[in-house]
Amino acid sequence: MLKIINLHASVDEKPILKGISLAIRPGEIHAIMGPNGSGKSTLSYVLAGRPGYEVTEGSMTLDGEDLLELEPHERSARGLFLGFQYPVEIPGVSNVQFLRTAVNAQRRARGEAELSAGEFLRVAREQAGALGFDMDMMKRGVNVGFSGGEKKRNEMVQMGIIDPRLAVLDETDSGLDIDALRVVGEGINRIMRKPDKAVLLITHYQRLLDLVRPDFVHVLAGGRIVRSGGADLALELEREGYGEMAA
Amino acid sequence: MTTLVLPSNREEGWRWSDLSQLPKLAQRQPTGVAPDDFQWIGTEREGPRLVFVDGQLDAARSQVGPLAIGPVDVTASDHPLGALAGRSGWKLKLGRDHAPHGLVQIVHVSTGAADHLAAEVELDVDAQASIVETYVGDGWANRLTGMRLFKGARLMLSRRLIGSSGFVSLTDRAEIGEGASLIVATLAAGGADTRLDGRCEIRGEGAYAEAAAALLARGRQRHDANLAIRHDVARGMSRQVWRSVADDLSACSVAARVEVARHAQKTDGEQSLKGLLLARSATINAKPELEIFADDVKCAHGATVGELDRHALFYLQSRGIDPEEARALLTRVFVADALDRIGEEAVRTAFYADVENWFGQSQAWVVPSEVEGRVR
Ligand SMILES: Nc1ncnc2c1ncn2[C@@H]1O[C@H](COP(=O)(O)OP(=O)(O)OP(=O)(O)O)[C@@H](O)[C@H]1O
Ligand SMILES: [Mg+2]
Repeated sequence: MLKIINLHASVDEKPILKGISLAIRPGEIHAIMGPNGSGKSTLSYVLAGRPGYEVTEGSMTLDGEDLLELEPHERSARGLFLGFQYPVEIPGVSNVQFLRTAVNAQRRARGEAELSAGEFLRVAREQAGALGFDMDMMKRGVNVGFSGGEKKRNEMVQMGIIDPRLAVLDETDSGLDIDALRVVGEGINRIMRKPDKAVLLITHYQRLLDLVRPDFVHVLAGGRIVRSGGADLALELEREGYGEMAA
Repeated sequence: MTTLVLPSNREEGWRWSDLSQLPKLAQRQPTGVAPDDFQWIGTEREGPRLVFVDGQLDAARSQVGPLAIGPVDVTASDHPLGALAGRSGWKLKLGRDHAPHGLVQIVHVSTGAADHLAAEVELDVDAQASIVETYVGDGWANRLTGMRLFKGARLMLSRRLIGSSGFVSLTDRAEIGEGASLIVATLAAGGADTRLDGRCEIRGEGAYAEAAAALLARGRQRHDANLAIRHDVARGMSRQVWRSVADDLSACSVAARVEVARHAQKTDGEQSLKGLLLARSATINAKPELEIFADDVKCAHGATVGELDRHALFYLQSRGIDPEEARALLTRVFVADALDRIGEEAVRTAFYADVENWFGQSQAWVVPSEVEGRVR
């Protein structure tokens, strides 16, 4: 589904990613761990196509299609979803308006009929409900005045409504309280654990991986994947830290 | 008209103006061909409707109602454009406690040449009215509007300038009595250049004056506004909300002023001038001014010019919204501060639709890449 080969990327001319290769097949959940500043968020932004993140070498394809040829909104319409480490506040645009615009833009791009206001609200209510997010929050400005945890939960509500095929979730667990973590973990499983979907889960903690059990764990350090393994690797890291790998 | 005497940019109040297309428009002959669609706003109660084609009432398509056509009592001899407007036009004079049946709608169609018209609105004690003026076409529409509000009267005047090209110049003279309220909301979302001039005097205690405007410019368009609100008596309140949006090589310029006379204590005046540059090659000028001679007043003013928030743009795009739509969405939010001042929902909705249309037309402009812009 997602194929990254020897990916190099720079931000403001500064090389951050230095040769990442990674293949994710449908049905798989991959976790990426790694020290602060190792390039995890950079990888997520490069995948989503954030302006200013320049790929200098290598390739990345989604279902065989070159992601570099696609603009961010086109990547989204192809089924890629980025859960932001720091969700953005957009005063004046309500969550509902934002998501309805987004969902319908994607449907148009895929040649599907747009959702009516009523249909959209039904989906929104269902997804918000499943994540313990009340509809009053949905009517407020996007992330405006939301607590850190509420913002992360909102990312998951958005994921539920948009229903992507590949989710790149950047520290979605940070800032969540214990109950919210469980709700979010269950949400990820419910929305994404399907044979035709895949997840790239960026996290620092085992807690989330207990809930969303990864098939593969990779360690990113200094812009490279320095180690890969199964779910046990995360447990090992939890016990022993990154040690030599972070050097 | 033989000679057209226009102010030069050396005059302080006209430093950002570009009146260069006026002499040409003044010499043209109108085609007289009016569109089929007058952009009427559908409301529950249909009110009076006037259509002016090149400054002449199109009686067949108008329902004058309580309005009158003829000489009007307004002058602006000190104003170079206002003085050209003449002293006849439409008039709405309402007696004590009166209100027209429904929304008053006036459409001005300019068909390629210059047309001049004056207007007068006089509301007696506790009378109220809501008027929408729509400017369409491609000529030069020059207007002078006098407004007199007596005690407790209320006037909401909403204007949308959506002509495809040409020029619209509006000169207002307003006097507001005790406890009266005047709100003038303006949307420039067409292809015409504009010059908006206003002078509003608060003559009665506790009166309220508000000017809200959203000016959208692209290509080489110029919007140029100059407004002064004067507080002559105590306890008046005034608000000015200006939202300028400039793309390509266009420019929006706003000079907004609040004057507070010595005895106008407890005046509460606020000005908010914000500009949004959709391209670095565009220009936004904002000049808020306060002239205060009273000592016990609350006056605030702010002026900012910025660009669309890049983080918000990427966030929207990452959710599947294309860049044009993302820009439109954020720009719509930016002008909402001004347009949300419009009271009637149907009118507000129509004005927002004009904003959407403005974005729908945006592909038409391509700026040559070699043009290096300036940001003032
Ligand atoms: N605009 C920029 N200019 C220069 N360096 C940058 C820029 N943006 C990010 N970086 C650097 O890139 C490196 C990788 O950052 P990134 O955010 O990808 O790390 P991360 O692995 O997500 O860290 P964390 O675990 O703290 O979230 C960091 O050293 C950071 O300082
Ligand atoms: Mg990060």
